[in-house]
Amino acid sequence: MNRNVAEIIDALAAHQDHASIEVLEELGTNSPDNEVREYTSRALVRKNVHDSLKIVIINQGKGINDLSPAVAMSTINEILALKDKSEVIKILDDTINMHSDEAVKENARSVKSLLALS
Amino acid sequence: MAKINNVGLNLGQKIANPFKTSRNSTTNPFKYSNFEGNTLQFEYADVFEGSKHSTNNKLKMITSSVAGSMTKLRSSITEPIINFVNRIKEGMSSAWDYAKNTNVSDLAGVKAINKVMNADILDIGKGIGNSISGMGKGIASKMAFLNTDVTDIGKGLSEKWNSLISKVHTNKITKDTTVDELKAMWEAEIAASASKEVA
Repeated sequence: MNRNVAEIIDALAAHQDHASIEVLEELGTNSPDNEVREYTSRALVRKNVHDSLKIVIINQGKGINDLSPAVAMSTINEILALKDKSEVIKILDDTINMHSDEAVKENARSVKSLLALS
Repeated sequence: MAKINNVGLNLGQKIANPFKTSRNSTTNPFKYSNFEGNTLQFEYADVFEGSKHSTNNKLKMITSSVAGSMTKLRSSITEPIINFVNRIKEGMSSAWDYAKNTNVSDLAGVKAINKVMNADILDIGKGIGNSISGMGKGIASKMAFLNTDVTDIGKGLSEKWNSLISKVHTNKITKDTTVDELKAMWEAEIAASASKEVA
């Protein structure tokens, strides 16, 4: 991954502005580069806000639901590393209860189990 | 008994020094050498001795041996050699006749020198001028080539410098950089990587 892109993602992760989350979702999670997707997903998790966590949990093909196991596992690790997990647990519960896609529900269930064990 | 003693004495002397000869001991290696039968007749000719006698005696030795050899040679000259010498003599005399009867100005090298010396200075100047102008043209074409190269180098340096400056500007990402600016930078990076992949 390009060093400049990594710096841009870090800068966007540091921003509190909601627009930064939109940019990360638009350019980062839709990137064809696995490394960029992985780095962006971790940045979104570190933000630890509802909008950023929602992107990596409930969207098919992004975050924990990414087709690349490396990206999915890296996102899960980042979630497990959060100090404050309250917002993540809330979103996971909502996903398990209300999401239409069974695969997304299953992934959310697995992550919640890991959180309970950690 | 006295005879026997004398014989014994003689034998004893011979056995004691069986290699003793009647020659006087000398350091001259040429003293008993034979140059085609010409024995060197001087006493102190010794190339291995010090500088005391060496210069004169060496010369003396060489001259005497050469003279002796020449004397011997003259006595043994055969007919074909005489003919050969006669032919050379004839050749020399004809060369002498040629030199005596030929005008110096008619000699080939002298003719060429005279031609140059008598040529018009203006013609020589023209020749030199042509050569110099040709050299000038060559140098001018070389200089033009150099200028082209320098321009290309300048272009290359300019491109490198701009890319370096753009990199420095890109690396100046701070917390104050707006989201829009960051988005623009990211899009530029995506475009650059896409163009690299195409290339």
